[in-house]
Amino acid sequence: MSLAIETHHLTKTYKSRGGKPVNVVDDLDLAVETGEIYGFLGPNGAGKTTTIKILLGIIHATSGDARVLGEPAGNVHAHKNLSYVPERPYYYEHMTGFEVMQFYASLFKIKDDDLCRRLLDRVDLTNDMHRPISEYSKGMQQRVGLAQSLINDPQLMFLDEPTAGLDPLAHKDVRELILQFKSEGRTVFISSHELSEVERVCDRVAIIHRGKVIEQGHLSELLAGARTEITAKGITADLVKGLNVPDGVVSTVGDTVLLDMPESGDFNAVIDAIRQAGGSIISVIPRRMRLEDLFVKSVREAPDPAGGPTDDKQGDEEVTEVTA
Amino acid sequence: MSIILSIAKTTVGEAIRRRILLVILLVGILFLVIAPSLNMLTARQEQTVLISLTLGVIQLTSAVIALVLTVYMLPNEVERRTIYTILSKPVQRWQFLVGKYLGAIGALGLMIAMMTFTLLFVYAVMQSEVQPTLNLVVIEIPIYVLFIANLVALVALSNRLKDSAKGQAVLAALAAGLVGILYWIGSQSGMLDQFAVFGKTTSMFFVQMCLLAAVGVFFSTFVPPTVNFFLSGGVYMIGSLFNSLFDAVAANTDMPFAAQIAVKVVQSIIPNFQNFSVQNAAINQGTMIRGELFHYINLTGYGFAYISILLIVGILIFDRREV
Repeated sequence: MSLAIETHHLTKTYKSRGGKPVNVVDDLDLAVETGEIYGFLGPNGAGKTTTIKILLGIIHATSGDARVLGEPAGNVHAHKNLSYVPERPYYYEHMTGFEVMQFYASLFKIKDDDLCRRLLDRVDLTNDMHRPISEYSKGMQQRVGLAQSLINDPQLMFLDEPTAGLDPLAHKDVRELILQFKSEGRTVFISSHELSEVERVCDRVAIIHRGKVIEQGHLSELLAGARTEITAKGITADLVKGLNVPDGVVSTVGDTVLLDMPESGDFNAVIDAIRQAGGSIISVIPRRMRLEDLFVKSVREAPDPAGGPTDDKQGDEEVTEVTA
Repeated sequence: MSIILSIAKTTVGEAIRRRILLVILLVGILFLVIAPSLNMLTARQEQTVLISLTLGVIQLTSAVIALVLTVYMLPNEVERRTIYTILSKPVQRWQFLVGKYLGAIGALGLMIAMMTFTLLFVYAVMQSEVQPTLNLVVIEIPIYVLFIANLVALVALSNRLKDSAKGQAVLAALAAGLVGILYWIGSQSGMLDQFAVFGKTTSMFFVQMCLLAAVGVFFSTFVPPTVNFFLSGGVYMIGSLFNSLFDAVAANTDMPFAAQIAVKVVQSIIPNFQNFSVQNAAINQGTMIRGELFHYINLTGYGFAYISILLIVGILIFDRREV
C-alpha cells in the first residue's frame, strides 16, 4: 500500500529561553498508509501541531525528511490534494458560511457555487449558510471547517483536534463525517486528545511524547490484552500489594481498593485472600484495555530525558506499581 | 492572479469593518466637516489655512489608518490561525503577502476617497455665497442634502448589497451619483479646476500611503505590531520631515565626513515621503507645477519602485519565517 505521509528522522529544534536547544519533534518516523484513519496522539506540548505544521510546510524541519502524497512537505502541488482543519478554526467573521466556502474555493481557482452549497448541505448548514460566521456556534464553525476542507475533494485530510470543545451531538456528527471520509477512500490524519473518539474511528495510532514516538501500530494490536478490575472494601491497600500480583496496579479511592490485573492472572486467589482478610468484594469486572489506558501507561513509562519515568500523577488518587 | 485578488478582496472586506479604523476615519471626516466653523481668521487667511488644515487632516488620518491597518495584518492572521488554512491550500507565501497588501491599499483607497468627497463637498459649501434666494432653497440645499443622503446610503448599504449583481449595480449608481453631484456643484460654482487640484493632491496622498503601507507590511514580516507601529511611524516621520535637514547636513562641509556619509545612507534608504506632499497647488490657488503630468508620473514611479523593493524583501523574509 502506498504511503500518504512519510517522515524519516524528522526533527524540529527550538531554542529555549535560556538558549538551550529543545527538540520539539525528535527523530520522528511516521508512515501513514493511503486510505486509513491515523490517530496522532500525545499530551499537550508533545509536538503534534508542530509536526502537522511541518507536514503542511508552514514551518520547516531542522533536519530529517518529510513527504506528503509523495512530494516534499510544503510542496504547493501536493496542497492541491490535501486539506487542513485547524484546532478551533477561525474564519473572517464578516463572511457568511457560504462566502467562506466561496473564498476557499477561489484559492483552488474553483468557481462553483453549487459545490459550495452541496458541501454546506453535507454538514447540515443549508439553513444557516447566509448567516455571518460570527453568529455560528463552535460546532457550526467546526462543520464549516470540515466543509471547506472538502472543497478540493482531497486525498489527504489533516484534522487538528476536530472535536475539541464540541457538545456530544456535534461530536457524533463529526465522528460520522470522519468515517464517511474514510469510506470515500480519503486518508485522514487526526491529532487529538479525545481518546475515546480516536478509538472509535482510527485504524492506527501513534502516541508521541516530547517529540518522540513512544507507541505506534494498529489499535487492535495495541489494545490487545484484556484485564480484570477487582474492587474491594474493608481492607488496606498494603494487603493487596503484599499479594505481589504480576503486572497489577493497586489504586485507593477513599476506603475502596481497586486492583487492576491481567486477565491471565489468578484473580480467584486474590479474591480468596481479600475475603480471608475480612474484606468484601464489591465487583469483579473483566475489561478490555482502552486507548486511554494505553496512552496514560505509555506516557508515564516514557523515559524522561532528565532520568526516570515521567510522573504525570494527578488528583488525589494514589497509584502504585506492584511488581512480582 | 485570481488567488491574490481573492485574498485582497477578503482583506478589504475585513478592513472596512474594523471598528478602530472606522473610528479613525469618522474622526477625520468629522474634523473636515467642522473645520469651516473655525472662522476666526480673516477671509484670505481663512481659506488658505482651512485648505491646508483639511488636507493635513486627510494626510494624518490616512497615515494613522495605513499604520493601524498594516501593522496588525500578519500578526492577526497568525494569532487567529486563518493563515494556516490559507497556506495549506495551493497558495504561495508571496501570493498571500501581495494579496494582503493589495487589500490594505484597496481599503485605504476607499477611505481616502471618502475623505476627498467630504473635502470637496465642504469646500463647495464653504465657497457658495449663502443668500436667501429661490435658487438656494429650490436647487442648492436639496442637492447638498441629496449628496449627504447618497454618501450615507453608499456606506450603509455597501455590506448588504455587495454580493448580488443587482446590489453591485445599485452601489455603482450611488457612487456615480456622488461624482455627478460633485461635478454639478463644481461646474455651477466654477470650482471644477480647484476640485481637480484637490483630486490630484489626495491622489498623491494615496501613493504616499501605499508606500507607508508597504513599509508597515515589510516590518510586519519580522517585528511585533507595537514595534512595527513605532518603526513604520518613525520612518514616515523621518521621510516626511527631515529631508531638508539631511540636505543641509550633507551640504555642510564643516560636518565630519563620516556624518555626511551616514546622513546620505539614511537619506537613500528611507523613502522621501515629503515628495508626495503636493498640496501647495491646492492651498495657494494659481500655483502651477511645471511639467505637472511628468512630475506626478515620476512621483508614482518613485513610490512604486520603493513599494516593489519593500515587498520583495518582505516576501524573502516571510518565505523563511515560521508562522
